[in-house]
Amino acid sequence: MKKTTHFAAALGLMAGLAISASTAPRAASSNDAPAAAPVNGVIGYILTDEVWAVYQTPEGKQECPEGLNAWGPREQFKKMFVDDGKKRTLEEAQLAWEAKIWHPELGEDPFPFRGPVGNVSYGVNLDGRVDADDQITPDGVKGIDNQLYRAIGCIEEFRGPTGILHFLVNRYLRDFEFNRVLIEISGVEDMVNDPHVDVTILRGRDRMMADATGNDIIPGGSNRVDMRWGKKYVQRLTGKIVDGVLTTQPSDVTLPHAIFNQIPGEDHMKGAVFQLKLTPERAEGLLAGYSDIDNWYRQLNHSWSTHHQSYGQLSSPSLYKHLHRLADGYPDPKTGKNTAISSALAVKFTQVFIQHPPKEVASR
Amino acid sequence: MLVSSVRKSLVPSALALAAALGLASCSGAETSTAKNAPVVKTVPEPAVAGSPALLRLITSQQYVNTLVHTFGKDFKIETQFPPHRRTDGLLAVGAATAGFPAGQIEQYQRAAATVAARVVDAGHRDFLIPCKPVDDKKADAACAAKFLAATGRMLYRRPMDQKLLDEAVLKAGETGDRLKDFYAGVGVALEGMLIAPEVLFISDTSEPDPNNPGQSRLDAYSLASRLSLFLWNASPDDMLLKAAESGEIQTPKGRARIVETMLASPRLETGMRAFFDDMFGFDRFDNLAKDPNVYPAFTGVTVQDAREQTLRTAYNFLVTKGHDYRDLYTTRETFLSPALAALYQLPTPPYWVPYEFPADSPRAGLLTHISFLAVHSHPGRSSPTVRGKALRELLLCQPVPRPPANVDFSAVENPDPRLRTARDRLNFHSENPVCAGCHKITDPMGLALENFDGAGRYRKTEGGAAIDASGRLDGKEFTDVIGLGVALHDHPGLSSCLVRRMFSYATGANVRDQTTLGYLNESFTAEGYRIPDLLRTIALSNAFSRVAEPYTPPGKTAAAAPATEVSR
Repeated sequence: MKKTTHFAAALGLMAGLAISASTAPRAASSNDAPAAAPVNGVIGYILTDEVWAVYQTPEGKQECPEGLNAWGPREQFKKMFVDDGKKRTLEEAQLAWEAKIWHPELGEDPFPFRGPVGNVSYGVNLDGRVDADDQITPDGVKGIDNQLYRAIGCIEEFRGPTGILHFLVNRYLRDFEFNRVLIEISGVEDMVNDPHVDVTILRGRDRMMADATGNDIIPGGSNRVDMRWGKKYVQRLTGKIVDGVLTTQPSDVTLPHAIFNQIPGEDHMKGAVFQLKLTPERAEGLLAGYSDIDNWYRQLNHSWSTHHQSYGQLSSPSLYKHLHRLADGYPDPKTGKNTAISSALAVKFTQVFIQHPPKEVASR
Repeated sequence: MLVSSVRKSLVPSALALAAALGLASCSGAETSTAKNAPVVKTVPEPAVAGSPALLRLITSQQYVNTLVHTFGKDFKIETQFPPHRRTDGLLAVGAATAGFPAGQIEQYQRAAATVAARVVDAGHRDFLIPCKPVDDKKADAACAAKFLAATGRMLYRRPMDQKLLDEAVLKAGETGDRLKDFYAGVGVALEGMLIAPEVLFISDTSEPDPNNPGQSRLDAYSLASRLSLFLWNASPDDMLLKAAESGEIQTPKGRARIVETMLASPRLETGMRAFFDDMFGFDRFDNLAKDPNVYPAFTGVTVQDAREQTLRTAYNFLVTKGHDYRDLYTTRETFLSPALAALYQLPTPPYWVPYEFPADSPRAGLLTHISFLAVHSHPGRSSPTVRGKALRELLLCQPVPRPPANVDFSAVENPDPRLRTARDRLNFHSENPVCAGCHKITDPMGLALENFDGAGRYRKTEGGAAIDASGRLDGKEFTDVIGLGVALHDHPGLSSCLVRRMFSYATGANVRDQTTLGYLNESFTAEGYRIPDLLRTIALSNAFSRVAEPYTPPGKTAAAAPATEVSR
């Protein structure tokens, strides 16, 4: 693992890398056979699921052999403010804890912290190197850079299917139009192998179409591009399709991400790449890149309150320290300390007909 | 049990040809107002038997439409009365033999209570009740009578009998005094009126026809009700009731004016959608369910929108645009909603839009709508037999025999996996000569729809095998569903079935009088198979307003004969 990754270094990543296994936590159905080419060389997808990629074995026995992280907000609060009969004001206790969240400090974590052991992880080789401390996918792909997993992998909050950040995120992703993310792949001559395709990230403005069970999003829906307030999310990437897997060139990517009450938020990734197994109805895989730590941390706490974090033993003040300890990219020019951490979002898309606005509207 | 199969007293009738022709000359079939209508050839109406006078149970939709017309849009309540039994292809015909046990009166009573409370609440009383009581904490007979008489006229479809009105006013007074609330008293009286037998049952009353001695006709109010239920699916409005009160509706000129007004009304859409919904058997949508694991894209919204798509298409294509009825089975014009577009695999904006399937699309005509394909399928698979049966029965008026009780369905329900397509399975199943007879009636056209699965989604293969969508319809062969649509379009039974269904719907009886149907068919053909012209022809016909002698089967007395069996 390279501790100081520069954007330029990431440009040479993953040439010819067989990533389909590493990007497919769930097998595609047999109905999802690749098609030769979409109509007019264009196919659109809508983002339906996104969670931080966490490698899990049953009950975490392999990656978290000592158990999941046990020191969340409740446990730390109890330790910090022992029930010794001393009267404390709100400011001296609860608000003091909240202040630690919003004004986190670097340094040693005073509480025990459990991170995953071993080097198995989902992710992408972001720096194009295979270093000794890099991770390896369950299917044996080496050189994986996913330091975020080393920070969050044993925190129940991030683990499926019960972790709040695992299941609630997707509920809000689907419910809130603010979060509507579309990708349009154009110039596709062959859905299985195409040396050059264009990928445009767009903001949608319509609801997704749930299936009869209410649990999935059906392909074949339509969604209009939001050119009213979504222009900032229009991002153009290039990529290629190899053996049915789309891989884009590294690029900074920003996705809208609102949680409760549609309070606006964003996920920022630097040097980000999509690795998506494509079928005419689905696209599934990873969006991997370097997450700016301060933004990532702010987004976490901006979205999830202490009570949510308490359910999954997620202590933000502790996590902040470990995020910086594990940071591996984009060093600060002045201090030389890394400001970003390699990470991977497990993402799923469903095919959608993207409806572009008339040109005169789009040009306003 | 209250039942509506009560025959009204009928004045003995005899055909008076000259008088009938005199009325027919005023039937005005040449005054077509349909857009794109061709030059209409007038077909004179022959001497006809007429239709029976009936007692019909009001449908929930007719009840709600009447409330909306009487009290306003706030009264479009959600209520579902027990459905009628589909009889001779129509629920509307079943209304004449419908009844309900005492226990089900609660459903009507709940609706009545909701409406009555809303009429007298503070938000509605000032513009629905045309007077104010002297003291709103006491009864006010004059004000109550004014409101109840006016409202009763609309609900009873004729002026209230004075005795009934007096009883209602008395009830309002007693309750108002007891509760010290004039409006509560009026509400109780209104609730009683809303579930009165005279309101829930539509009674045809006959009278001697002064222009045709010896014959009977509907009285003016019954004629107003029949017209209104036929064209608007609601009780008559003030215009119709005034025309009945003045007698205008019984004059050829007056009736023609009224029918033209009704045809031009926005309420015609409500009425025609109700007819198509009934004719196409769309009440099946009320209980339609698909296996979500097999058809995940078929949602509750799809169910609503599929029904709406076909009704919207039928009304727009046939009534608004006035196209040839037969073209409904070949046209590529339709409408799309987002939920349907997902199944049709088409892009669409997030609202209903007109849409035309391209020339190379496998979709053309009503048979390729998701509505027809999905309703006439099983929850987890398509069914050529069910689809073929529906085509025969609903669109061609050809009853298909029910399968024998001991039929072996194993070949289709638990098939040999080597039988990959429905055609394979049905061929195997039809090796049984007991089954083959009926399947020959239904399957050859049902198999042409096999390119669409049980949710109506297009497919080229089934079980990995290419689908053969060839077939034949009464001697006409085709290779795909487009060919089936053309064969249906050209089938002589298609238009005659519509005529029969529409006349039955209009009168509430399954009239099979060949003179009447022959006349209507001839007119429909001469007028270019256009629905607005057929509506007008029926509404102005003697067959519509004349009261027929009840049919008496040989060997029975007239009193024992069912009222609806007036077939000749």
